[in-house]
Amino acid sequence: MLNRIWQLAVLTFKEGVRDRALYGVMIIALMMLVAGMGIVSLFGQELGKVAIDLTLSTVVFAGLILTFFANINLLRKDIDKRTIYSVLSKPISRKEYILGKYVGLFSLVAVSTSLLALIGAALCALLKASYPVIYFADFSWNSYFQAFYYELAMFFVLNAVIVFFSTITTSSFLTFLYSVSVYVAGQTIEDVVRFIKSGNVGDFEISALHRGLLEVVQYLFPNFSAFDIKVMASHGMSMPPVHTILLLGYSLIYTTILLFFAVLIFERSELQ
Amino acid sequence: MTGSIRKISACLIIIVLYVFCAFHMQKARDQFSRSSFVNYALPSKLIGPMSLEFKGMASDFLLLKLMTFIGGELRELRGSSEDHYKYIKGALHTITDLDPYFWDAYIFAETILAWDARDFAGANDLLLKARKHLPNDYRPPYYIGFNHFYFLKDNKAGAEFFMEASMLPGRPSFLPSLATRLSVRDSDYQAGILFLKQMLKNTQNRVLIKRYTKRIQALESHQMLEMMVFHYVKKYGSKPPSLEALVKSGMISQIPEDPYGGEFVLKEDGRVYTTSNMRERK
Repeated sequence: MLNRIWQLAVLTFKEGVRDRALYGVMIIALMMLVAGMGIVSLFGQELGKVAIDLTLSTVVFAGLILTFFANINLLRKDIDKRTIYSVLSKPISRKEYILGKYVGLFSLVAVSTSLLALIGAALCALLKASYPVIYFADFSWNSYFQAFYYELAMFFVLNAVIVFFSTITTSSFLTFLYSVSVYVAGQTIEDVVRFIKSGNVGDFEISALHRGLLEVVQYLFPNFSAFDIKVMASHGMSMPPVHTILLLGYSLIYTTILLFFAVLIFERSELQ
Repeated sequence: MTGSIRKISACLIIIVLYVFCAFHMQKARDQFSRSSFVNYALPSKLIGPMSLEFKGMASDFLLLKLMTFIGGELRELRGSSEDHYKYIKGALHTITDLDPYFWDAYIFAETILAWDARDFAGANDLLLKARKHLPNDYRPPYYIGFNHFYFLKDNKAGAEFFMEASMLPGRPSFLPSLATRLSVRDSDYQAGILFLKQMLKNTQNRVLIKRYTKRIQALESHQMLEMMVFHYVKKYGSKPPSLEALVKSGMISQIPEDPYGGEFVLKEDGRVYTTSNMRERK
């Protein structure tokens, strides 16, 4: 079974690499990385902080574009072009198909963003070498790569989100719409909950029902903001190992749940 | 042949028309952007969630926008300076809410709010935020202490903050002696010069370098003139009637120019002041 999942993952990865959109995104991201290095010199003191901010943000931005456009497109291609029939006619179950696709899509994002993160790191190193050390006082490679690994864990969940929605919707546009909504909700829900719990909401009264609902919703959506430690990393701060382990556990469990339901739905759905 | 000449001519006409339009549009835009200055900054409660996981980058770009605004010279813009300072303060609060560890933003608070706008409470407010988020950094208490000593003439509060800064790693070597000297005299130009030179040493931003250099130049002129007044009193036994007396007595060749466009005057108490009050003139 694992062998078949792996083969399908490799096939999906290769298909993704052949996609011209991937190169387009990579070129834009590289241009953004180089332009970012030019912007850094405009700041007064914390050049290291700005360099890490811009580099990691570019890497994540490219990862999001790949996930939301290239990967959704890759997922729906089989169904839209009817090639899924020939794949499923081979000795491969629907479960293996979903898991294989997921591994392939995540690998595509992971490899692309890792490549960008390494190029970004090289540019940061170049910048660091060309300025006096005081402008890079808080710079830490450990924090830089930790923030990147956290983002990879975020993409681990986000790709499961698009796989899940692609099994319950009939068009790539709806998959895109739902996935983006979940991403935005996941990024902001923590702020909203904290804001409402703080009681600092002026004259508005929030009913107990709404509070209860929010309590449920915050566990329903993936907390994507927990994966974002870029601001801390840009100041050379790192997260303790316990936090990292908890976050990786959270990412793994949430992804497993999503893929479980995706498989369940896909096994029962009629392919059109 | 005729066809290609026609194509080339059409192409040239289009290019000329484009350059003409683009040039005039840019001129109109410049005028528009000068007259439509928006004197508010969006609050972080809105920008925070809107910037999703790009808060660090959002803070960088907001500060860059602020630097461009300051670099474009406040005086070129319409509206009162108070509106501009209010916008700057709001923007700095938003930036430091998005990234509370961003020292460049706090430096702007000190440079623009304390030195230019004379909004010491506003500057200290932001620096206290820095002190909360950067507890092991000597700079926030050092800057707050300086504002208390130099601007607010509150030696007691200033000494407390300087004491706190003196115990943190990386503090400048002159800090303990500066604290002692400032506690003796209310306003010491040398202290201001030292403080600004320290800020100048730590930045490579052209806008800030220009501002610090100008201010150091003004403070050095103040300091030099006061020293000459002191020597005059020692030599002649009485205070000079005006700064011109220093020139007449041959102690200085001329009264230095105020880089802010004002004039240096000698006050009754023997201190030297400038009519520009070291603020950019509109």
